[in-house]
Amino acid sequence: MQCLTRRHALLAAAAATLPRPSRAQADQRPVLTIAVQKISNSNAFEPPREQSNVGFRLHGLYAEQLIGTDWLSNAELVPGLATAWRRPDAATLEFTLRDGVRFHDGREMTAEDVAFSFAERLFGTQGASGAGQTTLLAGSAGKEPPAEVIAVSRRTYPGLERVEAVDRRTVRFVNRTPDVTLEGRVAQSIGAILSREAFARAESWLAWGRAPVGTGPYRIAEFRPDTQLVLEAHDGYWGGRPPARTLRFVEVPEVSGRVNGLFSGEFDFACDIPPDQIAVVERNPRFEVLGSPINNIRMLSFDKTNPVLADTRIRRAMTHAIDRQVLVDTLWAGRTLIPRGMQLESYGQMYLPDWENPRFDPAEARRLLREANYRGQPITYRLLNNYYANQVASAQIAVEMWRAVGLNVQIEMKENLSQVTARTPGRGVRDWSTTSIFGDPVAGILRNLGPRTDAERNGEWINEEFNRTAAALEAETDMARRRGLFRRMLEIAEREDPCYVILHQAAAFTAKRRDIAWRAAKGWAMDFGPNNLRVSA
Amino acid sequence: MLRFLTVRLLRAALTVAMVVTFAFVVLRMSGDPAQIIMGADAPPEAVEAFRAAWGLDRPLWVQYFNYFGAILSGDLGRSMRDGRDAIQLVAERIPATLALTLPALLMKVALGIPAGIYAALHRNSWVDRLVMIVAVAGFTVPSFVLGLLLVLVFAVQLGWLPSGGQESWRHAILPVVTLGLGGAAVLARFTRSAMLEVLGQPYIRTASAKGVPWHAVVTNHALPNAAIPTVTIIGFMMGSLIAGAVVVESVFSWPGVGRLLVVAVANRDLAVVQCILLLVAATMVFANLVVDLLYGLLDPRLRNAPKRAVA
Repeated sequence: MQCLTRRHALLAAAAATLPRPSRAQADQRPVLTIAVQKISNSNAFEPPREQSNVGFRLHGLYAEQLIGTDWLSNAELVPGLATAWRRPDAATLEFTLRDGVRFHDGREMTAEDVAFSFAERLFGTQGASGAGQTTLLAGSAGKEPPAEVIAVSRRTYPGLERVEAVDRRTVRFVNRTPDVTLEGRVAQSIGAILSREAFARAESWLAWGRAPVGTGPYRIAEFRPDTQLVLEAHDGYWGGRPPARTLRFVEVPEVSGRVNGLFSGEFDFACDIPPDQIAVVERNPRFEVLGSPINNIRMLSFDKTNPVLADTRIRRAMTHAIDRQVLVDTLWAGRTLIPRGMQLESYGQMYLPDWENPRFDPAEARRLLREANYRGQPITYRLLNNYYANQVASAQIAVEMWRAVGLNVQIEMKENLSQVTARTPGRGVRDWSTTSIFGDPVAGILRNLGPRTDAERNGEWINEEFNRTAAALEAETDMARRRGLFRRMLEIAEREDPCYVILHQAAAFTAKRRDIAWRAAKGWAMDFGPNNLRVSA
Repeated sequence: MLRFLTVRLLRAALTVAMVVTFAFVVLRMSGDPAQIIMGADAPPEAVEAFRAAWGLDRPLWVQYFNYFGAILSGDLGRSMRDGRDAIQLVAERIPATLALTLPALLMKVALGIPAGIYAALHRNSWVDRLVMIVAVAGFTVPSFVLGLLLVLVFAVQLGWLPSGGQESWRHAILPVVTLGLGGAAVLARFTRSAMLEVLGQPYIRTASAKGVPWHAVVTNHALPNAAIPTVTIIGFMMGSLIAGAVVVESVFSWPGVGRLLVVAVANRDLAVVQCILLLVAATMVFANLVVDLLYGLLDPRLRNAPKRAVA
């Protein structure tokens, strides 16, 4: 054993004064603070439990799917945790997994993790097909997902029969029926691949849901409900070293609080900036506001069981009385778009570039009202206080546009969504939006209209031909025929038996320091990955 | 004394039961927690499953009796939002709220009472007018306006203090000042009025005429008699220690009981709302009891009143 001498002590003291590669010194990456209106609605981060705007913002930071979505361009599907996929037949999808992907707990991702992520994690003991699981992961007993999670999973993967781990790097998805949208469904945030061993270690499903272990560039380090979420860099990330050491999301409910915190230097980013605050922020040369239209379409929907609106001509008149461009220019400073009906360009082959919204034509609106013998009967517009950005102002303008053609629409303020949709006398017009979670009508219009949707359940709008066409679209695999079916659905829902009138695409705006190089996504997601963030020294 | 306490507690229990019933009916009749918590994008199947899982699909009266029965057995229920016990969620937030409301209460007392006394003793002087102008301003300016003003000056312009959050004691300064100034203004006005009324009483003139020094007249005769209305106001302020900072907590993003109450009401998270209401009611009852006991200490006539009545 070596004795400690005075020389050793002196050397040790000298060494102590020399620079040491401490963790703090070695890691020069910034800690970024992002102020958001809300971190989580459900106090959970498991994607199926938090299918909301605030959830979509965060999911991609800590969890990834086999197929990714490039939100920075046009929401194209790109390789994610799978490097390639192929279709052995119309009902089967086979993935080749990416090598070297590690979970936040250090384990390497395998086909078993993928199978788990689409089995007990989403469906519990019932399994994807509902016929029960033959084998359950050890340690997962008593971790049945909440009923609403299973319901969301079934809705997202209605035809999924099973997911097989063919070998360590190959996974096969088997559907009961042919489904051309399976790739899009797999790419949804709910299809995140999470660590089965971490699930086995968790105390309960809800405990797991608060801090799921994924493969994303950041891992969940701390969550204080309604206060802050701390994400730390996952340095084993397959896509490169994350550019921020820590992301700190702080919940600041008031817009003024977020903007003031940005100005005072406490926040690096302030999210959920309403359009009327853009000029306020940009008056300060140190800050800018980024944002663009996102994959969400805002509209006004009609209740065709309303005695006045039962007449198709009155609903058609309402669609012709709305000047969308005025709304976009006055309320959104021209920073959003008017989609061509209920579709987005990200629909790819399914996009109908020649489709037109009912044109703004007050004369036609008046003619239809005369034809319908409309005599000023009141139509109620149930309105929430800015649940959507600019909702109240937009409603007031729409009411005035309707008044200009002779329609008597009366606003009735409501406190929450269930009051708006309540099946009580007077339900007439309301605000609505649809997020296309992948590029296909199945992920857009069919989430709101048709069989098993809220519109049908509430009785607001049911059209038998639309339902038949929707069912045919879901089962069809030929793209040309699918496009024809989609066109017919738009004809019914937007022209012949109007269910809604499109207003514009929603837009999300984020204020930030100018010296941070970062791009805003064309969706709710925020990307702080290696390819989308650089902070000046 | 025991009878007094028993009657008070029974009355309080009845009040709490009425509050709980009223809140249950209003919250459940005015919104569906399943739809609100699951969000507008949730598929109908998920909303239905949520309803069934939490018993929201049963008749309202069944839900009410189940809920009330659980409360009587000490079970305050679980949060529908995140599945944890409501009492646990609320208990986690109480220290944060008290970290604002207790210093704010001290500030109200330390500023409001001396200012009110000084103004009364110097009635119609410029100091009196200044105190009253400041008090009226503090009384009338809403706390969210005052809070935003303080943030603009001290966080945005001067950069001395943080604009919100709860990371250090510095984060508490602006919300405490916002809460404290308004309350101090109220106390200053009440204290001044009470002092002026007492100073006009014959026994004050008698004491002065007998040659008692003025400071002794004020300390021994005026202040104790003027304390009753002031103590009443402080009692109300103590009662709002738990949920009296709803607006300020929202403005300063302070994660206390007030913020939790706002979120719970918005989400119709019934168990959490009821738990907070119970806590607020209990605090109010306790504060009122303390005030009643203090009345007796401050005024011997009140202390002896029951005995005389019995005799």
